[in-house]
Amino acid sequence: MIRFNHVTKTYKGSVTALRDVTVDIPRGEFVFIVGPSGSGKTTFLRLVTKEERADDGDIWVAGKEVGALAPWKVPYLRRNIGCIFQDYRLLPDRTVYQNVAFALEVIGRSRHFVHSQVPQILELVGLGKKMDRRPNELSGGEQQRVAVARAFVNRPLILLADEPTGNLDPGTTAGIMRLLERINQYGTTVVMATHQQVLVDSMRKRVIELERGNIVRDQARGVYGMVDA
Amino acid sequence: MTMVSPYVMRETGGNLARNIVMTVAAVVTMAVSLTALGGVLIMRQAVNKATVQWQGGVQVAIFMKPAASTQEIAAIRHELDGMVPDEVKSFRYVDKSQAYTEFKGMFSGEPDLVKVMSPATMPPSFRVVPAKAQNVQQLASNYNQQPGVYDVGYPGQVIKDTLAHFSTLRTVALIVAGGVMLGAIALVVNTIQLAIFARRREVAVMKLVGATNWFIRVPFMLEGLIEGLVGAGLAFLLTYFARDTFASFTGSDPLDPNQPLYVSSHEALLTGLFIVVVGALVGALGSGFAVRRYLAV
Repeated sequence: MIRFNHVTKTYKGSVTALRDVTVDIPRGEFVFIVGPSGSGKTTFLRLVTKEERADDGDIWVAGKEVGALAPWKVPYLRRNIGCIFQDYRLLPDRTVYQNVAFALEVIGRSRHFVHSQVPQILELVGLGKKMDRRPNELSGGEQQRVAVARAFVNRPLILLADEPTGNLDPGTTAGIMRLLERINQYGTTVVMATHQQVLVDSMRKRVIELERGNIVRDQARGVYGMVDA
Repeated sequence: MTMVSPYVMRETGGNLARNIVMTVAAVVTMAVSLTALGGVLIMRQAVNKATVQWQGGVQVAIFMKPAASTQEIAAIRHELDGMVPDEVKSFRYVDKSQAYTEFKGMFSGEPDLVKVMSPATMPPSFRVVPAKAQNVQQLASNYNQQPGVYDVGYPGQVIKDTLAHFSTLRTVALIVAGGVMLGAIALVVNTIQLAIFARRREVAVMKLVGATNWFIRVPFMLEGLIEGLVGAGLAFLLTYFARDTFASFTGSDPLDPNQPLYVSSHEALLTGLFIVVVGALVGALGSGFAVRRYLAV
């Protein structure tokens, strides 16, 4: 589903974010990308959505080579990818329902489709009764659930999560993780960047560890630290 | 058409309402600029027409002294005969009794004046239609010096004054129109820039979920287009009715088809439409520029 082939990315000022990274993430997998701040986790995710361009190597997402994709096709690539972030990125002047519906409206989905999908997905994330609230009336965990609903409402092939639980307490974090696991069970490939050790250790999923742009570990059913390496 | 969906209309309307002060500023500036442009165009049409009329119908009247001798009159006639058709298109002689009849007609409202005049006191004259309007002055100076000639009358000064008057006016109006137009474009760009900034969160989400570039751009571009169109609409009305105002500084009525500076509704309408097109273009260009510059997609 996602394949990096000797990918290198350097930002201006010769900061190397990723160096010769080769990795293959098959369909339906749940992967953690771990490492300290500045290790290249976010760059990895931004390369998948083509928000950044690789300097070297090629990247394949959902069967397409991202680097060779014409600019006008990039939106269509992104329709296959859902994204969530540490800061939720909800629209404050819209209700929960409108926030999720927005994601469908702007890709030209019919009103009928929007009406049928949005309540369903909000039920799935456990916000069926809070559809008319605005983001500032919700807790952090609830806001992240709205973000998950928005990312998943178009049934993407891939869900990218950049530190999604960074602002949440452990109890709420567990809830979000259960939600992501559930989405993964529907067949969506989930790639989650985090530096929360407890979280990774408890899940026992594949772990890719980055350090200053290099992959230093790629381990099935791993934990955050190198303790059982 | 999927582009003009309810979504797009809602977004465009929302953008226009959100920055209402900027929107009004852009629209009014646009209207002022386009009105100046429209005024110039209307004036040009009127003056062109008037010039054509004068050129077709300019007459030079060579007035003889009432006491001019038959020989003197014959000399002028002979000379004029020699100038047909290269310099003079045609001419006719108005003798004393014809002049008196003409005089009576012109001053029929003043019987006292008519009473004191008689055919004997009237000057005979030659009415000359020059081949080209430019020849008028030369003809006039030629005959002024001839024996027996009292005066040569021609409308040259009027033409010259009007043209000069118009030319200054046109230059001033075009400079104003151009300057204000630049201001209008800057305001449109600025309004769109503000709208883009106000909606940066939405734009970020739209990019994230895979809205196409055009889908993101269209509401902003429509906003500029609408500002241009509304400004042009105002200018259209102003220009159309400017025909009335026009009368006040030319001294002739542009609504009267018998007047030289008449501008028909048809012409005014065409000018108005032209202005609407210019307004739409300026709005679209301004917003297009802003979108390219400030909305990296």
